[in-house]
Amino acid sequence: MRHLSSAALLVLSAHLLLGGCQPAPPRAEPVTLVFKHARILGPSDPLPGLLREFEARHPGVRVKSESLPWSTDEQHQFYAINLEGGGPAFDVMMLDVIWVPEFAQARWLLDLTELMPRGELAAHFPAAVEPATWGGRVWAMPWIMNVGLLYYRADLLARYGLGPPETYEALVAQVKQIQAGQRDARLDGFLWQGKQYEGLIVNLLEGLWANGTRLVGEDGSLFPDPARAEDVLVFLRRLIDTGVSPPWVTAADEELSRRAFGDGRAIFLRNWPYAMDLFELPESPVRGKVGIAPLPRHAHGARGTGATGGAHLGVDRRTRHPEAAVALVRFLASAAAQKTMAAGVALNPTRTALYRDADLVRSHPHLPLIGALTAAARPRPVTPYYLMLSSTLQPEVSAVLVKVKTPGDAIAQARRTVSYMLRDVR
Amino acid sequence: MTPRQRADRRAGLLFLAPALLALALLTVYPSVWVLWLSLERRIPVFGVARFVGLSNYEFLAGDPRLWNAAWVTLAFTGASVALELLLGVLVALALSGQRAGRRTALALLLLAWALPSVVTAKLFEWLYHPSAGLVNFLLGGRSLNWLGDPHLALPGLILADVWRTTPFVALLCYARLLTIPGALYEAAQVDGAGRLAMLGRITFPLLRRVLLIALLFRTLDALRAFDLMFVLTGGGPASTTETLTVYAYRSLFQTLQLGFGSAIGVIVFALVMATAWIYLRVLRRQGMAA
Repeated sequence: MRHLSSAALLVLSAHLLLGGCQPAPPRAEPVTLVFKHARILGPSDPLPGLLREFEARHPGVRVKSESLPWSTDEQHQFYAINLEGGGPAFDVMMLDVIWVPEFAQARWLLDLTELMPRGELAAHFPAAVEPATWGGRVWAMPWIMNVGLLYYRADLLARYGLGPPETYEALVAQVKQIQAGQRDARLDGFLWQGKQYEGLIVNLLEGLWANGTRLVGEDGSLFPDPARAEDVLVFLRRLIDTGVSPPWVTAADEELSRRAFGDGRAIFLRNWPYAMDLFELPESPVRGKVGIAPLPRHAHGARGTGATGGAHLGVDRRTRHPEAAVALVRFLASAAAQKTMAAGVALNPTRTALYRDADLVRSHPHLPLIGALTAAARPRPVTPYYLMLSSTLQPEVSAVLVKVKTPGDAIAQARRTVSYMLRDVR
Repeated sequence: MTPRQRADRRAGLLFLAPALLALALLTVYPSVWVLWLSLERRIPVFGVARFVGLSNYEFLAGDPRLWNAAWVTLAFTGASVALELLLGVLVALALSGQRAGRRTALALLLLAWALPSVVTAKLFEWLYHPSAGLVNFLLGGRSLNWLGDPHLALPGLILADVWRTTPFVALLCYARLLTIPGALYEAAQVDGAGRLAMLGRITFPLLRRVLLIALLFRTLDALRAFDLMFVLTGGGPASTTETLTVYAYRSLFQTLQLGFGSAIGVIVFALVMATAWIYLRVLRRQGMAA
């Protein structure tokens, strides 16, 4: 289901050729745009085709596609060094959503507010639009969407007459019931990401929201409700203590946890939508046995809320071809291009309407449910110093999980460090 | 100095000038710049850039994360370098005493050394996998949480580093062993020396200089260790594998706190320089360095 049949592709490209924006008037001088982006994985990368199509519609404009280093950390480092140090300018940049406010604050991005037709962002998920705007201006276009989900083994739950859990207490009870019934020492309960890295903070944020609190308060303070935050940290630690989650979640990232669940060795998994396609591969041991549900809620939460991730497209402020660059951004973020990306490599769109698109739903039956969960999801704190917050919190939360620190000490230390770092910034 | 000598000297300096200039540009200029940055509060994202004197160092002196990173760096360096030297010598001795299979052994050693460290790190991620990893299988099917347990993560990284760099020490020592004339051992044999006596009286004294060089290289390398921990554990759990360079990287490139990160960089620099200075003094005493 990751690939489209060639017939469908043909129909798609015809659709792309006919729809979308009008070709720009031909230019005297040929323009070359440099597009920096992460490598798109998958057997059928639709990006080159999309770029050739853009060129065909904009005579005189060529797009040079250059891929970034492998990890997001290295990509961030690459951008930071080149943009701050005045290295060679790029024209269009693929950005992790959490960088947009930071890059905007640093004045590395072209202000797109006047260049975008009003209401152009309205078609995208609110959780994608929020990080695209900073200080009341528009700095990027949403391109690819990600959202935290709860995966569950539908076959196992059905065997015990259970539905997906709405609260974490129910999840723990279900794990205990199923583990007792299955008597399989190799069957783990709930897998999530507990390694000391960005993914751990995503899991923490989802826990805080599920307990009716947040990481950054309205007044900018860290952990505005420390008691509820402590509850979440205590809960995560107890998951490991009581065997609901295996001890190795403290070293688990998305892939490690995804593989264990995909091998049929766990009942629940918190992960992103990409995992579903891998669970449904023909050789997958859990094919046809996996369900998707919203993340559960804690005692004080109204409902569980997934964190969003994904990529935005921005324009380097130093570009010499702003109109062409903006045209490329708008083209790639258009419904037709997002549909091609979703069909080709299963990178989910940021446009809400595509989650009801008949072609896409046929090849990706879970899309409507993922769309509903994304509509209720929240972005990570939209601030230029998000990475600083995350980097400060990672060791503290990790220390709580492995019982080196109490939740109270960890919260206090994180607050101390952040207040030093932000002394004359906030 | 005769006029001729003076002219020669001038010409020599002239020829050296480009190299010296390049060195100055590549090492002195960035070092001075980093030193200067470390006295600033500089956050380009917010347009903050002002001189704060030793404020960054003051904060760092009371920063548990820095002290932890310093401890991790020293523990990692001490343990991995000691193990690498010990194993390296043993491997070199085994190689020189063995004819059969030597070429294969050398090729395997080179392979371990030639792998990019990120590849090594990924390899060990699998070896340490809690349920599917070879390491736990070899330990009798245990499920030790190598990379997620605060007591096991650092030893796990040290083992990976030892695996990766023992070949360096082994090859260096092996090359030295090849140059020891066989006549020395034959003479010792004639004098009735046993194997142990030959090791202690001939082999080790002749290996000593090479070992000191290996020690210098490996220590300076280990003090700057970065990629293994960055890929395998991200510095966790609970920062038990976060070295000074990982902390510096996070402050510099993730949080873009250039002044604060530079201060950590200066601390690493001072640590490396102090170690190099001590070793060079020892080497000079051995008559090995100018």
